[in-house]
Amino acid sequence: MAPRWKGKGAEAKALADPMSKIVAQLQSSLTQTSASGILSGCSVLIAAEAEQTDRFSRACFGRPIVTVDKDKQWFQLSLEEAFFLRYYLKCLKIEVGDISPKSDEELWHCMITRKETFSDSYKAYSHLRIKNWVVKSGSQYGVDFVVYRHHPSLVHSEYAAVLVLSEGNGNDLNGRLRVWSDFHCTTRLCGSVAKTLLVLYINRNGNFNVSPLCLEKYTVEECTVSRWSPEQCREE
Amino acid sequence: MEGIFRGGSESDDEIFLQQANDEDEYHYSSSSISKLQFRKELSRARWVDGMGMAEVIEKKGQIWVTTGIVRNGKTYCSIEEILFFMEVGALCLVDDNDTCICLEDIYKKIEGKMGAYCLELFDVYRHLKSLGYIVGRHGTAWSLKAVKSTCRPVSLQVSEESSEVMTLGSADKLSIIELFGTMQINDMMPVFDVYLPNSRFRKSSPGTVHLPKPKLKSLRDDVVAFL
Repeated sequence: MAPRWKGKGAEAKALADPMSKIVAQLQSSLTQTSASGILSGCSVLIAAEAEQTDRFSRACFGRPIVTVDKDKQWFQLSLEEAFFLRYYLKCLKIEVGDISPKSDEELWHCMITRKETFSDSYKAYSHLRIKNWVVKSGSQYGVDFVVYRHHPSLVHSEYAAVLVLSEGNGNDLNGRLRVWSDFHCTTRLCGSVAKTLLVLYINRNGNFNVSPLCLEKYTVEECTVSRWSPEQCREE
Repeated sequence: MEGIFRGGSESDDEIFLQQANDEDEYHYSSSSISKLQFRKELSRARWVDGMGMAEVIEKKGQIWVTTGIVRNGKTYCSIEEILFFMEVGALCLVDDNDTCICLEDIYKKIEGKMGAYCLELFDVYRHLKSLGYIVGRHGTAWSLKAVKSTCRPVSLQVSEESSEVMTLGSADKLSIIELFGTMQINDMMPVFDVYLPNSRFRKSSPGTVHLPKPKLKSLRDDVVAFL
């Protein structure tokens, strides 16, 4: 399925301003101001100054919280987004409550405690983000993530991603795609909203998720699933 | 009749359902993020550490008709109510020394006050409250003068596993849990009671919500659809 750009000029705008560059700008801005976030529940809150607000919006990390605060714009990030800024881009500190910023190991432990499947969802998230895809929650489509080629205001998401653990033994992340009916339902839904189902098989390769170092040992295999209509292929 | 069941060899009509406008929430530039205005008159509340709530010491505006619980003639508001009204600029929260507590400090305080998924529960509260619904903690009476009526509100449940919100019509906590049990959804507890927007809401008699009842409609050939 070809990317569905929103309006004329959207594709040109995206080509002129690649996501990798936008993310790098956010990274440098956060590093310069020694930015810090607050971990609360399964989110991280960050107060962005004026210039950073724009960078957060353009790099598509988090969602803005509407408040009266004129000096700062608060953003609410998912655990995956925040940890990516912290661990991969190394441009953000994260506090828990009133305690001073946590180390990577301590933070990892906090996040695993709040979300059992964090190591797998983070692996998938970072796997795609590193390749400059924009990744957001897919809960409104009943999938784990929706994946965009560039900013959502410029293009519709092409992929709806579902995470599956490669290792069997009933250790499911979320029980998805274990029966054909679920494959059928999911591909049908994806088709209706013009997205391709992207299954991400996460293989822990026997590693335990006690430390972020396990991420290097995890592997991700991508697989797109779509219906094949025999009637439509013959003319090719 | 027109084939609802077209058989296995139907052409693969991909109907592009109208894309949800959720994607519009992702703004490309910061200038499109809306801003609220401070209200002219702020209510004031003092944080009470022992209670995990704030006592309202100065009320301004109509917000207190549908916010806060009344105990012994005083009004107290929960952390989600505090956060909501601070975000919209209608409330100033102070500590024992009458010093204003800022939004950042409250965000840090919220951790642990509403359980593990505090911020996610607050997201739900904020969303519904912004739409005009009247939202209270399930199981906490608005006022001790509340008339015991047979009317019950809709209860909102938030799953422990995810922050998806489900609305369920009906009764009290026990039967909601029984209902979940039959669906094999365990570990879900009602969190909020939600009432329709109502300018005549009274804490002493909160009343009930008119629930949209499921309708069974007969189609041709006696096929029944659940709408």
